[in-house]
Amino acid sequence: MSGPAWRTWLAPFLLIGALAGCAAPPPSSPQPVPKLSYVALLPSPDGSVGVVEVQGTRGTQRLTRAHDAALLDGSQAPAPVDAARFKRDFADAIAARPELPLHFMLYFETGGTQLTPESMELLPRIVDRAAHRRTVDLSVIGHSDTVGKTDLNDNLSLRRAQTVAEIIKGMGLKVDALVVESHGKRNLLVPTPDGTPEPRNRRVEVTIR
Amino acid sequence: MKMRLFALITLLAAALSALADEAPIGYVKTLTGSATITTGSNKVAAQLGTPLFQGSQLKTGPKSSLGVTFKDDTVMSFGADTVLTVDEYLYAPSQGKLKLGSSLAKGSMNYVSGVIAKLQPDAVSVKTPTGTIGVRGTQFVVKVDDTAP
Repeated sequence: MSGPAWRTWLAPFLLIGALAGCAAPPPSSPQPVPKLSYVALLPSPDGSVGVVEVQGTRGTQRLTRAHDAALLDGSQAPAPVDAARFKRDFADAIAARPELPLHFMLYFETGGTQLTPESMELLPRIVDRAAHRRTVDLSVIGHSDTVGKTDLNDNLSLRRAQTVAEIIKGMGLKVDALVVESHGKRNLLVPTPDGTPEPRNRRVEVTIR
Repeated sequence: MKMRLFALITLLAAALSALADEAPIGYVKTLTGSATITTGSNKVAAQLGTPLFQGSQLKTGPKSSLGVTFKDDTVMSFGADTVLTVDEYLYAPSQGKLKLGSSLAKGSMNYVSGVIAKLQPDAVSVKTPTGTIGVRGTQFVVKVDDTAP
């Protein structure tokens, strides 16, 4: 980057460094980069931007704009993070970010462990996506709709999850860790009153991590 | 008789809670260089697939990095010379039990928040020596320079 643009971009954090009490270097020596403890907000992988709040020993700051940063002691208002510093401080941590988890929903005919035809067709794709990962931990969570008693639904949604886990293993996927759980009717995708047949709630959620 | 029953229940409760503590809360997914995972008195060299537990301390060496994925889809990755402890981890959405408290003593971290931050934002925090970070469903990076203010 050329000199002036680089200076402008760097200015907010140099300011923070100076105000945070870093000793000024002797004029003849090259300018050292002040060391800082700080947090910077990034867009989520889906593109949305959330909020980070830091409660420090010297104040509280709220970050709401992507690429804004604040010192961890809360002493300075948020300012855009300097690009060169950001790269130096975080390139390795960002490069080490694991592949994000993937989610799939499988649906069932009422009352049993028979997958719908569409969900049967989805299974090979799930296995294919998982097989591309270096390590695979899989969670298979069964859910039911609200027709019937809690314990019956717990049992049914467990059998649904077990059915899916067996099919996936039968397709030759090597899994490092597998968790099979049942949430019965306690974790509805579509909230309904008790006793409501709802196909979207008769589901097994498969997560590849 | 009553005492004995009480003792049995206490024993059972202890066994159950030990069991709960022993379930992995996440796994190592990426690694360059060297890193260790210490849980209680058990210290292991991190490898792909090494499990993490509540209380685990994650430590990366010089020129090393580490990436982990938790049960609730929280994804953390660390640069060199980093020390992070998972102080508290609870993930039982159907019982409304949610908590992810961690401490970054030094180093650098990239954090992608997961289901816990989505369902109960105030249950997620990252402590550092000078301040505590709260998270409302997002990605952020944090650097702790233990020689800096």
